[in-house]
Amino acid sequence: MNNKCESRILLVDDEPDIALAFKIGLEDNGFRVDAFDNPLKALSNFKADLYDLLLLDIKMPKMSGIEAYHQMKEIDKKVKVCFITASEIHYYEDIRKKIFPILGIKRLIRKPIRIDDLVRVLRDELQ
Amino acid sequence: MNTTANPRSTERTEVLYGQKYVINTVLQFLSQAEKIDSCGDHKALSLIFEVEEYKELLSNLKAKGIKLRYITDITKDNIHYCKELLKFAKEIRHLGGIRTNFSISEIEYLSSMTGNQTLEPVPHIIYSNVRAMVEEQKYVFESFWNKAILAEQRIREIEEGIEPEVFEIIAERKKIAQTFLDLIRSTKKEALVLFPNDKAMVRADRLGIIDYLVELSQKEKDVSIKIICQLSKENVGIVNKVSEQAPGIRILNGNESLYGMYIIDDEKLLRVESRDASAETFMEAIGFAVYSNRKNTVQSFKSVFELLWNERTLNEELKRADKMQKEFINIASHELRTPTQAILSFSELLQTHPERKDEMLQAMSRNAIRLQKLTDDILDVTRIESKTLMLKIEPLDLNDLISNIVEDYRNQIEKNNDNVELLYYYRPRNNDSKIIVEADRVRLIQVISNLLNNALKFTKKQDKESKKGSIYVTAEKKKNRENGSKNQEVVVSMKDTGTGIDPEIVPRLFTKFATASETGTGLGLFICKSIVEAHGGRIWAENNPESKGGAVFELSLPLGEQQQQQQQSPSSSNLTSGGRA
Repeated sequence: MNNKCESRILLVDDEPDIALAFKIGLEDNGFRVDAFDNPLKALSNFKADLYDLLLLDIKMPKMSGIEAYHQMKEIDKKVKVCFITASEIHYYEDIRKKIFPILGIKRLIRKPIRIDDLVRVLRDELQ
Repeated sequence: MNTTANPRSTERTEVLYGQKYVINTVLQFLSQAEKIDSCGDHKALSLIFEVEEYKELLSNLKAKGIKLRYITDITKDNIHYCKELLKFAKEIRHLGGIRTNFSISEIEYLSSMTGNQTLEPVPHIIYSNVRAMVEEQKYVFESFWNKAILAEQRIREIEEGIEPEVFEIIAERKKIAQTFLDLIRSTKKEALVLFPNDKAMVRADRLGIIDYLVELSQKEKDVSIKIICQLSKENVGIVNKVSEQAPGIRILNGNESLYGMYIIDDEKLLRVESRDASAETFMEAIGFAVYSNRKNTVQSFKSVFELLWNERTLNEELKRADKMQKEFINIASHELRTPTQAILSFSELLQTHPERKDEMLQAMSRNAIRLQKLTDDILDVTRIESKTLMLKIEPLDLNDLISNIVEDYRNQIEKNNDNVELLYYYRPRNNDSKIIVEADRVRLIQVISNLLNNALKFTKKQDKESKKGSIYVTAEKKKNRENGSKNQEVVVSMKDTGTGIDPEIVPRLFTKFATASETGTGLGLFICKSIVEAHGGRIWAENNPESKGGAVFELSLPLGEQQQQQQQSPSSSNLTSGGRA
């Protein structure tokens, strides 16, 4: 396993299978990962300086990933973020154009993605 | 004062004062005439018939058989005199608002002063036999005559309470505004409103028109109000106010237009041209207006409105269909990619984590089933929408079918240790425990399983620790009372104690994509409805009215022919409980 990178990741995806698979896959690649399938739980456990990067699903019950990020950013100004979605990217065209620049969001990853590719994108964002 | 009646050998024009001279002059005028054309205001007839001194004139007119053409303003007050005069006048016509009083024979002209409001004899009269003058007045009379309508028609309109037909061009803005207000406030059955642009709606709102319509719609549910208006930021507040407070008022988005059009009760029309479309007030914005209550005019403008309305409706439907299509693609792709992601990731991880093989294979299988279910649903929707859903119809026992499905679900509930009890009950009317329907077995299993899945999903969530949730399934044979049919049908009811149906979703529960569940595609109930209806049945749902929570889903299916006949002549029966669950 590649243990060079000890970046800490908070992963939130309402699909428990996906949350588990990504957690295992990312940990295999040297990340330290906390995974939640409930954004509200993730938010209540969130503290400043705990994570280097958030990996958030967008469409989730009770709270969208974007709203969760908005609130987490209030707590930790430095934390980086990558969004991931199974929806059609063009569905989020408006959000990407209007809201992403305001929140400083650069990356939107589309599911399905291979673990190797996901790792590459996250490392890229962390650099 | 000129009191001398001069011989009429020479042409002259004079004013004669004093009642005696007036009467004498008129009598002489009558004695010389064979044909008389005469105009009188709405008071004139009353004068002729009521003033004692004029009775002589009237009898002279009658006696001499003079051909009289008469124009007056026929009103409710003088209608009886008009009918009286019709008995010996050649023809009478009505001209609304005529104010002049004059008569012409072949060679002479008489005019009394206008504006006499009392029933007094006329104090003076103008006489002329100047040829040019008489000719000119003949011309004036003819032009009035051509504009006027038959007295008989006017009398009928008054007697039947019909408003006279009006086609009026209004230039005065104050009058346009007043007509506009009066018109809208006269609405009894229907108001068709076309605002020229977004700001026109704002201006009408300032006049109180919108509030009036909202109030009307709230009070009188049968009044139909349709508004076409360009929608924008300018009027979004008003549109929201209307849809919140008076959902009966329908508003469609329209293009900018050069005029506003207001059609009330199929009877009245006001078409107002825009002079300054961006003006703040109604008065500043408007130009000329046309008001009419003529049937043909109103109808032709109404058909223009209806055309626009239909075109706008179609437009909105297309937009909605396009939105639904996008929604479908988005939901379908989200639901396809999610299990695909899980399968892909676990298949990668399986190689590096052989110790978690079982757990991962289970997850892969779970997600593969989810994919399959979704694929089937999408295929079903495609078949339904392209009308190629095929049913393999055969006679089958619904009681048996439900019993088996329920049995399977009870095993599943037991295995998963779900905190739910599931009961099925059927009480046959006679000894026959069978419920024979002609149906597609696989499709019926699909429908009932889908409804049970939903019931289970929303019932088992609550009270995990404490109280057990319940799902009651019942079947009952009934007479179908829909559309006057007397056929027998079976009604299957599923009542649960779950979270109930989100009230927001209720109206569109059986349409595509209606879902309150984050894991659902919102296709299941749409498919159920289509399958049930393809069998000639119905499906409906409500929140359980008897308890605090839970939903009731019911579906009906026509009974098979054999049982129809049995049910028509029911044998004396012992009631037995024949349900197997």
